[in-house]
Amino acid sequence: MQTDAPIRRTAGRLSREDQRRLGDILQRVYDEVVHQGVPDRFKVLLDELNEPSENSQAQSSRPLESASDPESDRRLEGKGASAQGSKGQH
Amino acid sequence: MTMRPSVRDAMLAAVPSLRAFAISLCGNVDRADDLVQETLLRAMANITSFQPGTNMSAWLFTILRNLFRSEYRKRRREVEDTDGSYAESLKSHPEQHSRVEFDEFRTALAKLPPDQREALILVGASGFSYEEAAAICDCAVGTIKSRVNRARTRLSELLSIDGSDDFGPDHTTRAILSAGGGRS
Repeated sequence: MQTDAPIRRTAGRLSREDQRRLGDILQRVYDEVVHQGVPDRFKVLLDELNEPSENSQAQSSRPLESASDPESDRRLEGKGASAQGSKGQH
Repeated sequence: MTMRPSVRDAMLAAVPSLRAFAISLCGNVDRADDLVQETLLRAMANITSFQPGTNMSAWLFTILRNLFRSEYRKRRREVEDTDGSYAESLKSHPEQHSRVEFDEFRTALAKLPPDQREALILVGASGFSYEEAAAICDCAVGTIKSRVNRARTRLSELLSIDGSDDFGPDHTTRAILSAGGGRS
């Protein structure tokens, strides 16, 4: 039993064992969300996007205010802004 | 705009991990889910720039991180909500005994500088290699390694690992930190 065993640091370095413990907690915290699976809203969203003929009206009214953010588009070659802009015109 | 079923499936498969990453970034489940939704919309609008055969998950993580960064700059004042809705959304989890220790860990995690936190999550929880994490964060591999190391060290400090007298009753934290290493 080591229920009160502290993680020891020496000169700012964690032991391998302590790194493992921290990593284990981190993984469990993260996996708790992962195990919630895919909320329905995302399934619905991707289904709508996948059937433009039936849902084009719903799509065109979807707010995409962030699409014009130049910073976010920078690494995506800026294609998103123009594509989304034209979609919202009709 | 049509999408091949394989692309749709790959996006769906990435959603759980995207959510976990988003929550770790903004500490608020509702905002995290909005961020994931925005990411999927952005990804669809830019699907032609995705190269088939490459890592869809890493691509989506990159988009999500960029979206978060631009939003982060816009509203710096309400960045962290570590105590509220995050725990709220998870309260139905069956392992109630771990609730407190998880919350305590999350609080410590939220206190890390954003750069260190995202590096630690990407490498330590999302399962990306250092190289993939560096690509997602648009920085050098050595930078990622350095951030991960500093994040671990800082976490251990925040969880009051040494000098426990200064932190008073701290059994929970020590129970957390020994949870994985109870046997020797």
